[in-house]
Amino acid sequence: MGERMRAGLTVSAIAHVAVLAWLLVTLPSIRVNSNPALTVDMISDAELSQVMAGVQNGPKADAPKPIVDKVGDPSPPVKDPVPKVSDKPEIAPSAAAPPPPPPEAKPAEAKPDKAEPKVDEIAEALKREEAKKREEAKKVAEAKKREEAKKREEARKREEAKKREQEKFDTASIENRLALMDRRAPQRHASLGAVINETASLGADRANAVALSANEQDALRRRLAECWDVPVGVRNARDLVVTIQIDFKKDGSLAADPVILNKSANPVFQVAAESALRGVRRCAPYKFMPPAKYEAWQEVVIDFDPREMFRD
Amino acid sequence: MQQGGIPGGKAFSRRGILIAGGAAAVLTSTRLTPARAALRLSVTEGNVKPMPIAIPEFITGSPGDVEMARTVTAVITNDLGHSGLFAPIDPAAYIERIANFDAIPRFPDWRAINAQALVVGRVGRQGDGRLRAEFRLWDVFGGQPQDGKQYQATPDNIRRIGHIISDQIYERLTGEKGYFDSRVVFIDETGPRERRVKRLTMMDQDGANARYLTRGEDLVLTPRFSPASQEITYMSYGQGDPRVYLLNIESGQREVVGNFPGMTFAPRFSPDGGSVIMSLQRAGNSNIFVMNLGSKAITRLTDSAAIDTSPSYAPDGSRICFESDRGGRQQIYVMPANGGNPQRISFGEGSYSTPVWSPRGDVIAFTKQLGGQFAIGVMNPDGKEERILTSGYHNEGPTFAPNGRVLMFFRDPGGNTGPALYTIDITGRNEQKVPTPSYASDPAWSPLLS
Repeated sequence: MGERMRAGLTVSAIAHVAVLAWLLVTLPSIRVNSNPALTVDMISDAELSQVMAGVQNGPKADAPKPIVDKVGDPSPPVKDPVPKVSDKPEIAPSAAAPPPPPPEAKPAEAKPDKAEPKVDEIAEALKREEAKKREEAKKVAEAKKREEAKKREEARKREEAKKREQEKFDTASIENRLALMDRRAPQRHASLGAVINETASLGADRANAVALSANEQDALRRRLAECWDVPVGVRNARDLVVTIQIDFKKDGSLAADPVILNKSANPVFQVAAESALRGVRRCAPYKFMPPAKYEAWQEVVIDFDPREMFRD
Repeated sequence: MQQGGIPGGKAFSRRGILIAGGAAAVLTSTRLTPARAALRLSVTEGNVKPMPIAIPEFITGSPGDVEMARTVTAVITNDLGHSGLFAPIDPAAYIERIANFDAIPRFPDWRAINAQALVVGRVGRQGDGRLRAEFRLWDVFGGQPQDGKQYQATPDNIRRIGHIISDQIYERLTGEKGYFDSRVVFIDETGPRERRVKRLTMMDQDGANARYLTRGEDLVLTPRFSPASQEITYMSYGQGDPRVYLLNIESGQREVVGNFPGMTFAPRFSPDGGSVIMSLQRAGNSNIFVMNLGSKAITRLTDSAAIDTSPSYAPDGSRICFESDRGGRQQIYVMPANGGNPQRISFGEGSYSTPVWSPRGDVIAFTKQLGGQFAIGVMNPDGKEERILTSGYHNEGPTFAPNGRVLMFFRDPGGNTGPALYTIDITGRNEQKVPTPSYASDPAWSPLLS
């Protein structure tokens, strides 16, 4: 018995050693079909969202050649890209809350003679247009261009004057259009060196320089949800989506009072809007917002939408 | 020719510019979204919880008015708290002591205790002895006044002033009309179960100022308020058959509605208060009739061999819901106000009774009996979206608050005790017991008094 077992063990040992020895000799010659090794960089979540937009095969410029030598001071960011047409009226108590004390009856002031010279609408409009043109020109190009523009304008003015004589206008419709005309300051800004100097470089093709990561967006969304007490007394929550624009400071506090962007004919909309506003104000400052990505959350538009909650 | 052509072309191009400018202005003014692509997020969840509100004691001019100030503050705190939509903050937590009605509150102090709304009030007596109360509602986080009113009344109306202020605050903050300045009539029950004395009783909706309207000699049932006048209709077993009566609350005058052979019961006013709808029982079946209170003209609305009863008008007066066992079991039916073909709307298990149309028209409340349980529920007027609000051994007789958001009903636990009144809001979340002098049943909520 013992004899046979020992024989078997010996055979097994020899066979194993033989196989191992054979493998040792043959293995290195077997070709492993593999791609060249890839280096993998571990990057953080923050770094991912910092990845610049670019093209994969973009030239890797070591030192991008400046197209413009002198880089001008970047213009300060536009504080309020859409100037408010009118200020939000203050919510006034609906009825006579007596104080503050009524102002003393003012002695009737002598009214200045109001008869102002009648304004020539068309000439006014033209002047405005001219001013606008000029301002743009000033920003973009040299004095020469301005000269030209002026000349053009003058020529045009002459033309118009001529035309006015020749032709009768439907003044009513012109006035209407003038009323609708955009009179705000031009918003186009001349390109600065910093903008022009952008060159294609390596980067993910759909990445953005500063964008909040999904987690960061979710943090803001969650915080706002925590702060928002839905007006439960309100029936028909259907059209009660309240859209609010929030302007933040870099420290997460509110740069301005949040603004309601939408409207509704529903009489309880005001209640819904106020509840959302209360929530936004109540939880300020939003200190958890990443200052490094301030550009991405400086201005946020939130839809407070209770419709899901009221589905019963 | 050339001369004419050039100006024409120019005019066109200038008009083009003007149109383009106009169009741009219209676009930017209607689309108020920022020019820069701002981050846009959707918040689809929020808290469903009562709004924390601070109601410091009203300020008074003289120490003699402190009691009055306490009363009005307590009434408001109680009203808003019971509604389930507000959570009055314990005054012990207040940081700022409001001493001046006209001063702007120190909002950080109120934010610190998380008050979202702050009610500041003042109450006092005028030279003519009348009381004068005023309040201001502040948005604590917005730092702005939201509402403010002042009232004058005789001193015995101090509680009503409190209810009216509560209604004002409720409406301003919820967008719905309030219901606090209203009353309830009900059947006050005293004595042992087998020999109960039942008296028609009226009180404020919060249980204060209860007073008896009948002396308890006759058995009274199912009182209902007129939506338009200070009148109540109810059913009473005096001598002989039960009859429907009309009672003027102010004068105490009462009269029988109609003079029919047989029993009349389950009366209810039409929305304009001009007629009473009821059922009239004869020879084992009962049908629904309406009587015009002015002309006394009677119109028959149903004609069946079944028991049709508990009629209730839609608030616009166009339709009537009622219960009927014409299908074998008590169910709820809806028919046009002038009669016509009734449509069954309740199809759940069990039997349905005492339907009441909500004053805001959106739902019909009912009592549902199933497996020894009596539940109070609501369903849409087309029978859809049935929801049970409360269920138990015995719940019955729902009546709507004037704003249709709260129901009152009575619950009888059985045994040696007696029934009591409860309120529940139509979400079913907020149930409250209503204080009454003794046992109470068959409540009917009045319309708003003011």
